[in-house]
Amino acid sequence: MPPPTIGKASLIPAKAGIGLRFQHHQAVLDRRPDVAWMEVHTENYMGGGTPLKYLDAIRRDTPISLHGVGLSLGSAEGIDRAHLERIRKVAERIEPGLMSEHIAWNLVGGTYLADLLPLPMTEEALDIVCRHVDQTQTYLGRRILVENPSTYLAFGNSIIPEWEFMAAVAARTGCGILCDVNNICVSAHNHGWDASAYIAALPTQAVGEIHLAGHSIKALPDGGTLRIDDHGSRVSEEVWSLYQEAIARFGAVPTLIEWDNDVPTLDVLLQEANHAAGFIARADGDHHADAA
Amino acid sequence: MLRVSSRAPTETIMPTLLEAQTAMRASLLHRDHEAISAMLAGHITADRLDIYRNTFIHTLTRALQLSFPATGRLVGKEFFEGAAQFFMADHPPREAWLDRFGGEFPDFLRAFPQAKSIAYLGDVAELEWAVNRALHAADVPPLDVAELATVAPEDQGRISFVARPSVSLLRLAHPVDSIWRAILASDDDALRQIDIESGPINLLVERRETGIEVERADEPSWLFLSTLCAGQPIEVALELAGDLDCPTALADHLASGRFSEFELATPQNARQLR
Repeated sequence: MPPPTIGKASLIPAKAGIGLRFQHHQAVLDRRPDVAWMEVHTENYMGGGTPLKYLDAIRRDTPISLHGVGLSLGSAEGIDRAHLERIRKVAERIEPGLMSEHIAWNLVGGTYLADLLPLPMTEEALDIVCRHVDQTQTYLGRRILVENPSTYLAFGNSIIPEWEFMAAVAARTGCGILCDVNNICVSAHNHGWDASAYIAALPTQAVGEIHLAGHSIKALPDGGTLRIDDHGSRVSEEVWSLYQEAIARFGAVPTLIEWDNDVPTLDVLLQEANHAAGFIARADGDHHADAA
Repeated sequence: MLRVSSRAPTETIMPTLLEAQTAMRASLLHRDHEAISAMLAGHITADRLDIYRNTFIHTLTRALQLSFPATGRLVGKEFFEGAAQFFMADHPPREAWLDRFGGEFPDFLRAFPQAKSIAYLGDVAELEWAVNRALHAADVPPLDVAELATVAPEDQGRISFVARPSVSLLRLAHPVDSIWRAILASDDDALRQIDIESGPINLLVERRETGIEVERADEPSWLFLSTLCAGQPIEVALELAGDLDCPTALADHLASGRFSEFELATPQNARQLR
């Protein structure tokens, strides 16, 4: 196999990108859509064969960000070194512009629990997460971004507001924040937080990427509702509105459209990315007007 | 400062992170919500915990459906999902690389009482797992045949190979390659014509440039290649291969890139292997 070539741009631009899923590998190669960057789940490219061939070809024209779902930065028992090595190998091959993971956990007792599970917001959990972010950044030899979670329950011993937890991880480890605006919308509803206040509390200079996605609303037997972060629909108006608040505060940052369930056509993803691009252009314009 | 939860905890339980994660594991794997419920803020109904459990089950069921499509069609969606839930409770994934989740599923199905009426189900699943392994196997370059020319003729019998990671050799009790093909092609006529009792088969499964190949092999050919793929020296494989045209077979394996490396067994090791 020939050595992979480096794409024309290896850094992720402060523009709108799309999550690349297997369903669209061929369409992206055939059509070469005009999209500024793409993000993939690191775990989907740990083997060989067809997926890596597609990604090698696509990344010649399009900067790629690697987004991991399995490192389990919040595991009390430590992170899986074999998994960290697999991530390093994918990064070596793909040369991503950004790498990110989650403020969550999914590994305990030698079992991978296949979801991004909530952490108690405690000093103990904060120490453990920071240790693992340090370990990861040292091992990979680069800065990572960590994403705020979407959650459906909270622990009784939580004492640190989530936005402070995020800021503390960034401050202590030097990592960046991947601000998932949809997750903020979902969690704020589920826990009775103020989503705008959450965004306003994040350290501006640490935010290196934004995620946008759709969520659904589930009625509960007790009459209440839960928002479910299912990445199965278009970005809601409420999230677009929060997104404008976010880029007004953080400036233009790389913004990703994520869609994982009932994945639509490539065109729908590109429409959503274009919508985000419009807001970014306006935020940029406002920023320049302010500067003048 | 805003609190994390607007509802005050009714009682103060201060679990360590490990205790909380162990309790969550019981909730997800076994729907044992008791320990985790006592650690949560406010009154948390089972509905909220089930959201996590449903995601856990959905993600792993989906992974199994992708790896075992023909097995799934044989038993139907509902049966497959039920079997998957029993399986994941007993054999949850051990790592976050889900391409490798499901290796024990064929044996699980063979022992699954509700699946006893489909005697060949475990064999179909075993073939599908080999296909899955071939699909996801690491990209390892094939052995450069020119390197073998450096071995002196008198030492050639001591050559042992390392198989490419995408190569699997299976010996199965039922003609499940035909079943697998007919199911994936939705070819009911072909399926009806299969004689389930036609005896065991030997299969070679591998990934080629053109895709995944599943081929039958006669007994001497299969034995020769599986002996080589197990890392035994050529001279041992020759002894087991009977009247097979071994030079031609070996040339085909090399040309098809079924090995990635070779080494020379020491004379002493070669004898021991025999």
